[in-house]
Amino acid sequence: MRLSAAERLRPTPGDALVVLAVLAAAGLVFFLLLPKGGNFLTAQIVLDQEVVTELPLSALTGAVSFDVPGAAYPITVEAQPGRIRVAHSDCPSQDCVHTGWVSRAGGQIVCLPNRLIITVTGSDAPQADAVTG
Amino acid sequence: MRINVRRLTRCAVLAALALAISVCEGLVPLAVLVPLPGLRLGLANLVTVFALCRLSPGESFAILLARCLLGALVGGNLSALAYSLTGGVLAFLAMWLLLRLPGLSLFGVCIAGAAAHNTGQILAAMAVLGSPAPVVYLPPLLLAGVVTGAVTGGASILLVQRVPWGGEN
Repeated sequence: MRLSAAERLRPTPGDALVVLAVLAAAGLVFFLLLPKGGNFLTAQIVLDQEVVTELPLSALTGAVSFDVPGAAYPITVEAQPGRIRVAHSDCPSQDCVHTGWVSRAGGQIVCLPNRLIITVTGSDAPQADAVTG
Repeated sequence: MRINVRRLTRCAVLAALALAISVCEGLVPLAVLVPLPGLRLGLANLVTVFALCRLSPGESFAILLARCLLGALVGGNLSALAYSLTGGVLAFLAMWLLLRLPGLSLFGVCIAGAAAHNTGQILAAMAVLGSPAPVVYLPPLLLAGVVTGAVTGGASILLVQRVPWGGEN
């Protein structure tokens, strides 16, 4: 059977429609994922569908670094006030390390080989954590 | 699909070519330039497009399966099979369908194929993780797919036009 697409040498208006459809899909997913909530950041670390720990990033006063227990490939998470990253991982892909620092609500770090997800969510500041007067 | 030696040899050669391309591509990961998991140029897709244009759908699908399975074995990373297979099959279906639509060139077909491949990878990652988390990577991957799809689309036009291909038998 003859396929018309196989014979053409130049892009067609139909191609532009395909590009538009892909861009629209990307935009739609992006807007659906826009972070909600306040600016008090909390990081949740999930390993293999189980919550390992939750870190109140905005409430940290200094840097914290720790190994995630139970990870298939040893992985070190580093948190500083308001941001978090995977400082080191022995996983083959290194995507988690390359993601770098995440410092806004809705940000995520995924380490697929470890089945580890770090999710940063924003909320309104919890109970008055510092009341002076 | 009638098995004949000539057709079988063609499929074997194309599968070997696709495997070689995907292994070479793995040696120069685009992810070093842009830190986006799962990002690649998708040059091995050239072989799928070529097969879809010049061979039967069944043969093209067999070439795709052989490439994914052997690629996972050669790469020594069986867990990556889930991603390449889901992405590859979705891309195959999208391109097979769009090739039958009038008014498209191989640019559009390859861009849609790249988008379908990225979507498949993300779906597989969501299944492996049991969490919707990987969706955050979908929008940037789709944007990158428009660029990489256009590149492979241009290359596949040259390939399909220039590579001589003996008659049907």
